[in-house]
Amino acid sequence: MGRLRQKGKAGAAKAYVTRTAAIRKLQCSLADFRRLCILKGIFPRDPRHKKKANKGSSAPTSFYYAKDIAYLAHEPVLRKLREHKAFAKKLSRALGRGEWSNAKSLEDHKPVYRLDHIIKERYPSFIDAVRDIDDALCMVFLFATLPSNSRLPPELIENCARLAAEWQLYVMHSRSLRKAFLSIKGVYYQAEVMDQTVTWLVPYQFTQSIPADVDVRVMLTFLELYQTLLGFVFFKLYTDVGLAYPPPLDAKMDEGAAGVGAFSLQPAVRADAPVASKAKVVEIDGKKVSGKDVRQTIKNITASSKCASMDVDEPEADASGPADEVDEEFVPQPSSTDPSTSTSLPTLQSLTSLPQTLSTSLFSPYTFFLSRETSRPIFEFLVRSFGGRIGWPASSGSGSPFDETDDSITHVIIDRPVVERTNESPEERERRLRRKYVQPQWVVDCINAGKILLEGTYEQGKTLPPHLSPFGEYEGAYDPLAGQDDEAAAEEEASESGESADEDDAMDAESAEPDAGKLALQAAADAAATVDDPAVLRAAEIAAEAAGVDFTTFEKQVKKSQKKAKSKVVDSAVEDAEKDMNKMMMSNKQKKLYEKVKHSQNKKAAERATLEDRKKAIQKQKQRDARSKS
Amino acid sequence: MAASDSKLTARKRKADVDEEPEPTLKAPANLEMLSDEEDGEDIGSDDGEFEEFPEIDTGDSESDDDEGDDGDDSEEDEPDVSDEEDSADSDDSEIHIFPKAKNVISDITGQPKRVYPEIEPDYDSDSSTEDTPNRVGDIPMHWYDDLPHVGYDMNGKQVLRPAKGDELDKFLQTVEDPSAWTSAFDKKAQADKPLSEQELDIIRRLYEGENPDGNYDPYEPTTEWFTSKVEAMPLSAAPEPKRRWVPSKWEKQKVMKIVRAIRQGRILPSKPKTSSTKPDFYAIWNEPPTSHPPPLPAPKPPLPTNAQSYNPPEEYLPTDKERAEWEALDAEDRERDFLPQKYPSLRLVPAYDQFIKDRFNRQLDLYLAPRIQRKKLNIDPNSLIPKLPSPSSLKPFPNYKSLKFTHAAGRARAISVSPDGAWVVSGDEGGVVSLWEVNVGREVKRWKFGDKIGAVEWCPRVDVCYFVVGIEEKLHFIIPPNLPAAVVTATRAALAPAILPPPPATPSSVKWTSISTDAWRDSPILTLALPPSSGLVKQIAWHRRGDYLASVSSGGGVWMHQITKRHSQEPFKRVRGAVQLVLFHPTKPHFFVATQQYVRVYNLMEQKLLKTLQPGIKWISSMDVHPSGDHLIVGGYDRKLCWFDLELSDKPYKVLRYHSRAIRSLHFHPSYPLFASSSDDGTVQIFHARVYNDLMTDPLIVPLKILRSHSIKDGLGVLQVKWCSRQPWLVTGGADGNAMVWCS
Repeated sequence: MGRLRQKGKAGAAKAYVTRTAAIRKLQCSLADFRRLCILKGIFPRDPRHKKKANKGSSAPTSFYYAKDIAYLAHEPVLRKLREHKAFAKKLSRALGRGEWSNAKSLEDHKPVYRLDHIIKERYPSFIDAVRDIDDALCMVFLFATLPSNSRLPPELIENCARLAAEWQLYVMHSRSLRKAFLSIKGVYYQAEVMDQTVTWLVPYQFTQSIPADVDVRVMLTFLELYQTLLGFVFFKLYTDVGLAYPPPLDAKMDEGAAGVGAFSLQPAVRADAPVASKAKVVEIDGKKVSGKDVRQTIKNITASSKCASMDVDEPEADASGPADEVDEEFVPQPSSTDPSTSTSLPTLQSLTSLPQTLSTSLFSPYTFFLSRETSRPIFEFLVRSFGGRIGWPASSGSGSPFDETDDSITHVIIDRPVVERTNESPEERERRLRRKYVQPQWVVDCINAGKILLEGTYEQGKTLPPHLSPFGEYEGAYDPLAGQDDEAAAEEEASESGESADEDDAMDAESAEPDAGKLALQAAADAAATVDDPAVLRAAEIAAEAAGVDFTTFEKQVKKSQKKAKSKVVDSAVEDAEKDMNKMMMSNKQKKLYEKVKHSQNKKAAERATLEDRKKAIQKQKQRDARSKS
Repeated sequence: MAASDSKLTARKRKADVDEEPEPTLKAPANLEMLSDEEDGEDIGSDDGEFEEFPEIDTGDSESDDDEGDDGDDSEEDEPDVSDEEDSADSDDSEIHIFPKAKNVISDITGQPKRVYPEIEPDYDSDSSTEDTPNRVGDIPMHWYDDLPHVGYDMNGKQVLRPAKGDELDKFLQTVEDPSAWTSAFDKKAQADKPLSEQELDIIRRLYEGENPDGNYDPYEPTTEWFTSKVEAMPLSAAPEPKRRWVPSKWEKQKVMKIVRAIRQGRILPSKPKTSSTKPDFYAIWNEPPTSHPPPLPAPKPPLPTNAQSYNPPEEYLPTDKERAEWEALDAEDRERDFLPQKYPSLRLVPAYDQFIKDRFNRQLDLYLAPRIQRKKLNIDPNSLIPKLPSPSSLKPFPNYKSLKFTHAAGRARAISVSPDGAWVVSGDEGGVVSLWEVNVGREVKRWKFGDKIGAVEWCPRVDVCYFVVGIEEKLHFIIPPNLPAAVVTATRAALAPAILPPPPATPSSVKWTSISTDAWRDSPILTLALPPSSGLVKQIAWHRRGDYLASVSSGGGVWMHQITKRHSQEPFKRVRGAVQLVLFHPTKPHFFVATQQYVRVYNLMEQKLLKTLQPGIKWISSMDVHPSGDHLIVGGYDRKLCWFDLELSDKPYKVLRYHSRAIRSLHFHPSYPLFASSSDDGTVQIFHARVYNDLMTDPLIVPLKILRSHSIKDGLGVLQVKWCSRQPWLVTGGADGNAMVWCS
């Protein structure tokens, strides 16, 4: 006989502790414990046997790993929290006694904790940290827009706004934005940084009010951690591309609501040589590298390094520089900047170009101007992330590189209905005709499509095509574009065939027609076979005759398909029945699993089916409306 | 500063004192007088009572004297004491050892004061120089315990131990000496010595818990030796020393040292707020990462889908019904936390009011929700269905309905197929028993009974031909018509023999009545009347040889009848639980008895319980044993079917649940590997059940066919299934009054 095992000395009873036990062990308050858990990223666990972990009680409690709690006991932050408790007592005592100088000196020596060791612990490598900044970015962008009050000091809001601007600057500088999505909750952005996709949500620019049922303390604790994390991540990101961190803030421009423009990116001062090379790499990433470029850079490294540094110095120049270069690349198609022929360029692109994998300089040939009702932060960020130049009226904030009268403007992002203008000077009119007036969705759809879309459907005042999520859904989900694509393809085919008939030879058309006839025959026969309705059969006969198929072949075809259908039906029915019967022999566990999987499959299928049905109904309604109108 | 402070406070206090009433104002005047007499005395001591303090010493010295006296000679002492006693008697009749003080009014101050008697410094007066003759000093006297002497006197002579009398002497001494009880043993003198008056007084005081000193006054007023009152005139006329008002040089030097240190920055007047000198942000990931694996990253929230767009395709917009449903749900139960909405342009999109709430919920998930790593099952559900041989390869089995026989009266509850498989007897609840052919379904004969038929069973013997019908408390034995003469005679001989066998030794309460006349063609040839109030006979089970038959009544009674001996007996005196069914083992002398929840197997030869099977069914409805006798199937009203391997375990080998209602009947085919089950859901399920002789191979059970033709009536479906013994044909009887034959 082995050693007697006492209950509660090993296994789940030792591995887990309840929250109450953890708090008692750490000798801290529940609020402090929560704060520690948030900062250290400790979360409750679900023991496999709750009863075993809780000394035989099955009362609902949350469990933590005993080791997690043991590590927490040695946490420097916990010590600081204890010190803070003592400090608070001393301070309240001093204040109660009216010892102001004492209170002041106490306040000066308030215990402050640092979180850098926690950051290092939670994210041992930089990649781990980048992977986990989604939530941090969401929070920082949210708090950057909140109004300050007694619970949210203005310094906190300012810091959040600074961090948000730094992130946007980095993304714009490194051209790492990939996708954007205008949702009812806000704008989703997806960037690719260090091969990690980072998705964050920015609310639309409205004043948010904190609801009463939200615990601000918890949010602030998270924010504390997130600010530190983002600070370290940005430091690394900036220094890796050779930029100084933090980027200096121009207070005057910030006063004028310049937003991101108030910060200026500057090269890091120390270690010149590596910085220069890094800057060069970035530059190369920004544009397309050609052999000529390489040779040139080899020729005069010094010149290039100077150039890079200058580029970095002035962000506006940085934005315009590559744009010019790309313009040069586009020299064979000089019409791209020419407003009169620019309609042909996007069509060509949309027809010929494959979806580009990395179209980071999508907007570089264009210059945008924001109308005053569009949100500047969103579109400034989007356009500049893809290499475009953008300007805005003074009412949207200072720092616009050009004004509305600038001749280089190719697109105006406008979001208001068309208004007939009566008093228009001829040059204004000329300018209006030269520019393209597009609705904001065009920018986002272009980014998601990876190419410049036709502006026609996005023109000012037009009903917009639906805006779809670029993030996709699960496999086999309903695709709203499925029907459209087919239609579009058919249309294209038709037009192509028409063109070919015009241009080359009629062979194609001839060969296509019998195909069409055969197809029609097949379809008709199938329909007749499946429906078993004489009326349908009759209709199919007529259709076949119209297609030029003689009656005997038609009949044969019908019989064949009927037989096929029948045998198919019988086979499938038999198989289904057998399967149903075999289900009897499944064990209970397997049966439950089967039901579960089936349930989820059915649910997804039902969802899809309802959407498809609804789409059909809507299309029918539209057709009816159109017919009644005509 | 400190000096001036103290002065200030002193002045304050003085002011306080000034406010006091007149007598204290007089004090300074008194003081001067007193100070002449006793210099060094303070102001507070101007009361006469305080004068006793210096005189305590004299008292003490006197007491010492007295002790010394006592030690010497008690004769001398006594008069003293008596003197004192006399004097003591005069005022408060108390013994005073110390010289008595007198309270007199001082003629100088006018205050009362205590005066002690003068001490006369004679030789007599002080006996402290005289001492005991023993001069050994303060040593432990037990050193002399073994010696004849107790020490040495001043001249170095031994002081001999005084003679000690025996106990009687001691006693006499105490009787004679009146002071014996106030004397104590003196070790040095090795003799009893009477205690002095002082000693006795001290003892008395100690005994009463008082202070041993009689003159001690616990309530004397405090003497303020050091007062806070600052006098106008100094006590001393010495000039104030320089050090009192010149700043200290050393102090200055020390302060200057600190000042210099502060100026040079060696001492920081206040430390910087943050204790560490590290910058806010630095390259934290520059040093190589630890070997610890990083903690699991939190799961990312799902990415937005098309429905969340500000301008989704129209089919995503919810209908009014969906909207109402969504709004009626609690926020936690909603599948989506938003309703899809469509805005014609971006400028019309309002603020999302749940933004902060969403963020907060996400954070709650991050720090409060337990996380489990789950393997995502990505399996084809069809792969879970077991692969079984196709039913088409397991033919023959019944798969179509060949004919239907209708009972007009009601439920065809009892059905039996003749051993040759050509005839069927079916009984309904209207009391009609019909005999019909399996092949064509023609009714050959009909018997009409008064009450509903409980059970019908053919005799398994082939040489005779008859069947048993259970009605009420009776078993009727009926011979079908159109039999060969030989069979008829054999049957008649078996059922109604001319010579009755001798009556059994223990007569039972079952009556056997047979008719020998020709009336057997229309009425039962033999009738067994079970004891009254035993209830309807609901099941009849034949032994394979056809000699024994067991019947189960609805009251729970089990009877075993032997045809040849025309004898019935109750095999069980007492059965735990209501007996549902009984069965004979096809090969062994075993007997299965199914109660409500258990199946018990008895050995009839040894008359003992072999085993109890536990199907885990709430209420057993049906049971059948495989022709090999090693397997048993048990069906229950709770839809379960249990397959028992009798050699394996008491627990079922397999439990199947496929009927949607209660199982009513089960039957194994006697020759084909088939069994059928019927249920209240109106279906009959055919299974292929192959049993192997090899003990290691599990029986193969394959569902073959579901037969649906019976309709459900009053919640009852198919009540009875029976196989034809030679063909894979099935006869079923349903609650709709139909009996059907299913052929392969």
